[in-house]
Amino acid sequence: MIELIGVAKTFPARGANPPVDALKDVNLTVGDGEFLTILGPSGCGKTTLLRMIAGLIPWEDGDILIDGRPVTGPGPERALVFQSFALLPWATILDNVAFGLELRGMPRPKRQARAMELIELVGLSGFESRLPGQLSGGMQQRVGLARALAVDPQILLMDEPFGALDEQTRRLLQEELLQIWEATRKTVVFITHSMEEAVLLGDRVALMGPRPGRVVDLVDVPLPRPRASTVDAIEGSEEFAKITAGLWRRLREMQLFRRHAAEGRHSSSEPAA
Amino acid sequence: MSSVAVKVARPHPPRFRVAQLASAAAPATIALGIGIALWEIAARAWSQPFFPPFSAVVERLVELIAEGKILASLVGSLTNLAIGFTVSAVVGVGVGMLMGAYRKVEMALDIYVYAMLTAPSLVFAPIFFAIFGLSRLSILGVIIVYSIFIIIINTAAAIRGVSPALIEMGRSYCATERQLFFKIILPAALPLIFAGLRLGMGRAVKGTINGEMFITAVGLGAVVISAGRRFDAAAVLAVLLVIIVVALVAIKLVQLVDARLTGWLPSTARQGRAGRASSPG
Repeated sequence: MIELIGVAKTFPARGANPPVDALKDVNLTVGDGEFLTILGPSGCGKTTLLRMIAGLIPWEDGDILIDGRPVTGPGPERALVFQSFALLPWATILDNVAFGLELRGMPRPKRQARAMELIELVGLSGFESRLPGQLSGGMQQRVGLARALAVDPQILLMDEPFGALDEQTRRLLQEELLQIWEATRKTVVFITHSMEEAVLLGDRVALMGPRPGRVVDLVDVPLPRPRASTVDAIEGSEEFAKITAGLWRRLREMQLFRRHAAEGRHSSSEPAA
Repeated sequence: MSSVAVKVARPHPPRFRVAQLASAAAPATIALGIGIALWEIAARAWSQPFFPPFSAVVERLVELIAEGKILASLVGSLTNLAIGFTVSAVVGVGVGMLMGAYRKVEMALDIYVYAMLTAPSLVFAPIFFAIFGLSRLSILGVIIVYSIFIIIINTAAAIRGVSPALIEMGRSYCATERQLFFKIILPAALPLIFAGLRLGMGRAVKGTINGEMFITAVGLGAVVISAGRRFDAAAVLAVLLVIIVVALVAIKLVQLVDARLTGWLPSTARQGRAGRASSPG
């Protein structure tokens, strides 16, 4: 279980820029085996929040607990999937998938056998001796997913993993992720700026608002599971349309509010930079 | 589960390699042929003692080789080059890594490294001569001053340029500092480090000959000096040809090691790399 209690993060002042409240009073609980999607406009601090849960950056206030223990750094029970894939360009697909295990000191034959299982799971059999540069974006992110699953984490942290992919590839990967998750039931925190993606994948959607970043709403997604085999039916359903429309209303308010605020500021004082 | 992309074909099937190599070498061969022909014609037309035609230079080169002068000097020069470059490479890469990794080290050393890179390296020859006299150390000093700073600068840039996303990935998988360095930072920086080593090798050859000419008159530098005193332009140019060949072979050696270690780079990136690290002087 992941618990965030009153978490705040401020980026310090840089030169003439004043300090920025990236996150303020974030409260959130993610249950074991839950698929939580975090949705919000760009600049609302959702990636910052994920990197804090991953233990990669510090924060000023509040607590982040995993199974009751405070997060002080990265841990073996969490694995990250990156928007930019972050694969080692000089290492084969096999070595990339086995990389987390290699860092943990697992002997070569054992980690390669484990990596082969995961390569098979994500549908990349036959590509294990290729280099990342020889693969398409969608295949590279499969490698990223396989690498994360290889270390058998309790928690998968996914930072807009399909954000850099084209629409068709993204849809395929969403289906495959659902399939894998519905078979393994790991706890997932999944960042996205796509409403459809948030609803299709998540058990709940945490809607974040900007400046300072905070969770403004938690939306239940009562769509039936398993969803992997019925993605088209789900996306055509009334329920799906209703939830995404509700999310869009909130997001549009935020965007409009932001624009008005920006315009108000600009007309009253200095011109836009 | 379906895979969305087709298998990527290897860019160069092996059976075409010979033909490709030949066609890649063709422009260079033609350019060399034209250059030599122009040299020959111009020198014959102009007919000046300080500008002998190519054929005369080759003739003189054959004579010098027959006298055994070239080979003996070459061994001496290559020994200096090998020792000097090795020291430059080891120390240069080491210092460059520290500069790339630690902001404070970089801020402290930056000014010195750039000052030494842009300063005419031969200025240091008399200083080394004053310290080490006629010993080999004077020449080695010159070679190192010629080559080490470009290696330092490239290595520091290479380390600094490692993708933060990769480092963050390593941290997220609980890599130790040691693992971060050896499994992520070093392999990621290797291509640019080798670009620096290539440039450093070119400068080390320059340093070897200049050191030999100005300090102790040994090796190929000595052959040049004595030929110059006799106004034997053909011999000077003959040695120059040897030096150019030595330099090209030495750089090729560095490239071969580079290609072995960083073969994962796409060939387009490999070509673009030399341009990123420029060498003033």
